[in-house]
Amino acid sequence: MEAPLLRERSLRSKIIRSRPAIAGMILLAGILIFVLIGPYVWPYKPFQSAGPPNLPPNLAHPFGTDNMGEDLMSQVIYGAYPTLVVGIVSALGATLIGFLAGLYGGYYEKAKAPISLATDIVLSFPSIALLIVIGSLFLPSDQVIIGGLIVILWATCSRAILPQVSSLKRMPYIDAAKTSGLRNRKILWRIIAPAVYPVAIAYFILIVSVGIIIATSIGYLGMGNFSEISWGTIFYYAQQNAFFLGDWWWVLAPGLMLALTASSFALIGFSLEEIMNPRLRR
Amino acid sequence: MHYLVKRGLTYVAVFIAVLNIIFFLPRFAPGNAADILAGSTRLPAQAVVEISARLGLNQPMYVQYVDFLKNIFLTFPPYLGVSYGYYPVQVSYLFDVRAGWTFLLIATSLAVGELMTYGMGSVVSLRRGGKFEIGSLYSVITFNSTPLFWFAMILLYAFAIYSNIFPLSGSVALFETPGTLGYYQSVIWHMILPVVVLSLSLMAESFLILRGSMQDVLKSDYILTAKSRGLSNWNISSGYILRNSLLPLISVVSFSTASMLSRVILIESVFGYPGLGDLLVDAVLGRDYPVLTGSLFYLTLIVIAGGIIGDILLVRLDPRLRS
Repeated sequence: MEAPLLRERSLRSKIIRSRPAIAGMILLAGILIFVLIGPYVWPYKPFQSAGPPNLPPNLAHPFGTDNMGEDLMSQVIYGAYPTLVVGIVSALGATLIGFLAGLYGGYYEKAKAPISLATDIVLSFPSIALLIVIGSLFLPSDQVIIGGLIVILWATCSRAILPQVSSLKRMPYIDAAKTSGLRNRKILWRIIAPAVYPVAIAYFILIVSVGIIIATSIGYLGMGNFSEISWGTIFYYAQQNAFFLGDWWWVLAPGLMLALTASSFALIGFSLEEIMNPRLRR
Repeated sequence: MHYLVKRGLTYVAVFIAVLNIIFFLPRFAPGNAADILAGSTRLPAQAVVEISARLGLNQPMYVQYVDFLKNIFLTFPPYLGVSYGYYPVQVSYLFDVRAGWTFLLIATSLAVGELMTYGMGSVVSLRRGGKFEIGSLYSVITFNSTPLFWFAMILLYAFAIYSNIFPLSGSVALFETPGTLGYYQSVIWHMILPVVVLSLSLMAESFLILRGSMQDVLKSDYILTAKSRGLSNWNISSGYILRNSLLPLISVVSFSTASMLSRVILIESVFGYPGLGDLLVDAVLGRDYPVLTGSLFYLTLIVIAGGIIGDILLVRLDPRLRS
């Protein structure tokens, strides 16, 4: 028998053919190489005085130096770790909680109203204001920032997952499963969850992108962990000093790195979401 | 009407949530509640005693809670504490002064941003699948991932510091008297850069939503019918595609007020624009806790107001919501 004329592509094939995903992955790979190999290759370290202060980008210091003579490229390289860690960990937590909330809220009728309400409430808050208040009342350590980000970002995930679980629940094969005696909990975890978790993965990647940006914005406003260097603290110092000194490079390079990193996650996550979503509307 | 009721309940829940956050967070944070709320280390002793009495800090928690609610609902404007930085001004009076500028920024940016999204949507729906659509998709995703404060800083450098075209900070030049033409010109001039940044960010977000909604519309039968009747692309696009994809943009107004406020905070900080966001950032640096918690209260009120306006607009425009 010849193969049928209409054949759905496998998931892997769809991802490989999606141009935004490829672009995002190449970008991300480049950035990861830069960040992981950097400390071994680059001679300067962030807190040491590496050269004359306030130098624009040149051959020795491609990103320039700040007002204390520290090399900015090393700051960007070493600062990437805390920023990325905060982003990824908070995205993990937020996606887990959002996924669970979406599952239970979408499936169990009694849970739907409270969980939807909680999601709406969280989404209605001005997130940066809330994070600022939390960060200033409790000391802005990494744990507090991650916790605050999780509190805000879980709703983004659950807002996407809950409607899908709800609509899946109405499918005839769920009724068939129930009639054949399958218990609710097993239906939820053996049938619905595997259908929905690809969307959760797409949202995880998107939330990493958002989390990195919010964490850096908070750091820029002063709510960062200043015992180590992160991209947020680079911008904080830049805001204090760079304008008066005219050091435009202090702002340009770290910001480009941040934009490229967040964009790479966003491109991958966006194309994953596009691929995953229509498949559920069978 | 049912939709409005449902949304109204949500807003009530948001309000209750923020009241509780403002009450419980400072009292459970590390450190002495009196330090945080009454500034026992920062204000003269007499003031500390007064504020502690009014907030009931020496009483058991439930009495404090009742006092807190009384302070908010029974006095107008609500008593939220006295600012440290601007002692002896009450927090509520500070907001009174600053809120106007922030409103101006938000309203203008919403209008400009939505208009630009509509324009971009028209162009995209005319040339579907072409290079413009794909290019705009990439640029919008990338722009959404660009940190807003960084973009604002770059613009500030390029247009204000290097080229001296736009002013460096503030909302209006100090030497202009209110009410004159020069005053309004100066206000607009100072407003251009912040509004550009804000509306671009709004446009990026709205465009993604619009695109999603347009994709749904494009699959419908009436579009196929229109094409088979021989209507030109332009007719289809303006008459059918755009009008029917427009609804989510309106709901964006009610849902995006929260994110707009977050962005306004950052932008006011970069451009030195004297609005609510700038007040909040100063309070962070100065650890001005009453202003911080009060800001959360008022900002949430603004979000609720924006949401209500957006919902009323939506109900008027979408007949499906009138059950």
